[in-house]
Amino acid sequence: MTDRVLVAMSGGVDSSVAAALLVEAGYDVVGATMKLFCYGDSVPDRPCCSLDSITDAQLVAHKLGIPHYVLNFEDRFGRDVIANFVSEYARGRTPIPCVRCNSFTKFRDFLYHADALDCAYVATGHYAIARDGALFRGRDVLKDQSYFLWGIDRGVVARMLTPVGSLTKPETRTAARRLGLVTAEKPESVEICFVPDDDYVRVLERHLPSDAPALAPGPVVTTGGEVVGQHDGFARYTIGQRRGLPGGFREPRYVVAIRPATREVVLGSGDELLGHAVTLGELNWLADPLAPGDPVWVQCRYRAPAVPGRVRECSPATLELDLAEPVRAITPGQSGALYDADGRLLGGGVIA
Amino acid sequence: MPKRLVYLDNAATTPVRPEVLEAMLPYLGREAFGNPSSPHRFGRAARAGVDQAKRSIAEALGGGGGGGGGVEPAQVIFTSGGTEADNLAVIGCALAARDRGDPFRVAVSAIEHKAVLAAAHAVAHLGGEEIILPVSGSGEVADAALNEALARGVAVVSVMWVNNEVGVVQPIARLAARCRDAGVPFHVDGVQAFGKIPVSLSDIPCTLFTISGHKIGAPKGIGALVVRDRHAVEAIIHGGGQQFGIRPGTENVPGIVGLGAAVELAAREQAAFAARAAALRDDLERRVLAVVPDAVINGASGPRAPHVSSVSIPGTDSEALLMHLDLAGIACSSGSACSTGAVEPSHVLTAMGVPRELGVAALRFSFGKENTEEDVEALVAALPKIVEKVRHLSAVLHR
Repeated sequence: MTDRVLVAMSGGVDSSVAAALLVEAGYDVVGATMKLFCYGDSVPDRPCCSLDSITDAQLVAHKLGIPHYVLNFEDRFGRDVIANFVSEYARGRTPIPCVRCNSFTKFRDFLYHADALDCAYVATGHYAIARDGALFRGRDVLKDQSYFLWGIDRGVVARMLTPVGSLTKPETRTAARRLGLVTAEKPESVEICFVPDDDYVRVLERHLPSDAPALAPGPVVTTGGEVVGQHDGFARYTIGQRRGLPGGFREPRYVVAIRPATREVVLGSGDELLGHAVTLGELNWLADPLAPGDPVWVQCRYRAPAVPGRVRECSPATLELDLAEPVRAITPGQSGALYDADGRLLGGGVIA
Repeated sequence: MPKRLVYLDNAATTPVRPEVLEAMLPYLGREAFGNPSSPHRFGRAARAGVDQAKRSIAEALGGGGGGGGGVEPAQVIFTSGGTEADNLAVIGCALAARDRGDPFRVAVSAIEHKAVLAAAHAVAHLGGEEIILPVSGSGEVADAALNEALARGVAVVSVMWVNNEVGVVQPIARLAARCRDAGVPFHVDGVQAFGKIPVSLSDIPCTLFTISGHKIGAPKGIGALVVRDRHAVEAIIHGGGQQFGIRPGTENVPGIVGLGAAVELAAREQAAFAARAAALRDDLERRVLAVVPDAVINGASGPRAPHVSSVSIPGTDSEALLMHLDLAGIACSSGSACSTGAVEPSHVLTAMGVPRELGVAALRFSFGKENTEEDVEALVAALPKIVEKVRHLSAVLHR
């Protein structure tokens, strides 16, 4: 092994700066852009992951004097990430494809290439900090992306380099300008890369059969069981949603549950949206597993605050947590990322 | 940075030769920058450069046009490169045929360059028809398919002399004679043939012939179509009356002069180059097979041009091989194409019946005048380790 590092360059400013900082630090840097899905005419230009982004990554790599390659992951990304995204919605859940992309694509498949290229390290533009085999929140609280990283293999963490994790976003842009990178002023990508115009239903319509229950009409009911309207597909709804619901209630109503078996979308009050416990499945640990009684902080949604809790039960498959304070809209399919009090990411799971 | 850089991708492009650059320089600066259509001295200087290039090219391609079946300078039409020349030949013939009331239909071989295949497809898109002529396992166009196409009536038949991916050489004289006898224009894409194998159009009764500059040490952006029968083609771009209106637009004078110089050199050096390239290629293939015994040389069963070798390495994929070779300082190209979706074998290997798993694992090595035995040496030294790593990677990724 050398001090060679394979940098995942999306063509955005964060990974551009990551690559540049590693070059400055003296690493033997190889850049690569993962081509994750087919960029047909149906997908208009995206801030991230588009062919234009590959061009941007190539320009940055050229400027930095490092080799750059395009890795085709379309088959595997389609299977590991997009297919799961679709099937989760079909089950009435609200998935986070970025978590699986990190677990299966960026920090597994990409690693295979890094291994073949004798790279001791892999690097990304994530706002998270890998240090001594442990992962921590990024320094910029507004940008911290550690939430999406709970599912990666623990053994990978020691090989991760996270050059922008200790920067704030404005500092990253400043660095990009100082380095003269073409991506310095590129707008933030906030959407899911393979979902054009944030319209995930269109993706579901393309992948699911036309008679899929998730996209078929069904009843809107109250928690008391009263039918108050019709919806045109439970996959269009998510827990905590308020917009687009039947009106006529004295108090605001929210989606509090989705019942795929009966196609019911269930409305309830704000109080009924509060959860006092959470159960996680598909567990993964980046530290030693917790045991019943252990204190832990859990974050149930991206950019939501972590709340303190305590482990009630823990098996290899599931973890049940009691929360010290209620959490709004705990949503099946989202992630529960587990932290210690110092912001170290301990692991996590998918909310059951 | 690797210690030594090895360029084995000369079929993709070549550097501009110093002699060519020198010939071009006067036409870029004050000396002869004029518009060749202008009657004044500036124009005349530029015109002289263009005319000299036409002569050089006509001479190199067979010369002696006066009834001997060679090439006349006036038959050389300059284009922006091989792609445009191919498009002009295929689409231009189809449009001319349509205007005459003849079949609006073209026939091209299945292993043509995309410039020809896509042009044929464009004819179909315009309301015409494309016939794809299949090839044998050794890459040769099947006589029966050609006869059938000629019997149906076509505006043009287009077959490349030397295939760019595997180097297969077509029996071009025989195909041309068949088309002449049928009264059908015949286009030869000679981009990979000229300078590599003996090319004399005095023996080849083709109507149209494409060459490209940057494959033989001229710059990118210049090529030519030899048009032996002006009535056979109709212009596909329109403008002033330059080049008989077949390809209007102010001539790329420096490029044309560069092409003329490069063609002259390539013709003069062809035999010596072919001998050297064939020796290097044979050496490469023998030594690659020695270190990777299950490697497969594609197209080896038929006649081949000396400068191209297509090698499939089972259990790998060519994109990964290219990446690893590049990091080792070795440049070549793949026999696969990243089409929409996954990596697929190239249309050439597929048409030749190469199995998919070998098609996605194909590398193309192509020699130029600057290659030496040390280049083969460097490749053979680097290859075993790379093959081992990429095989492991492919096994993991396809698990």
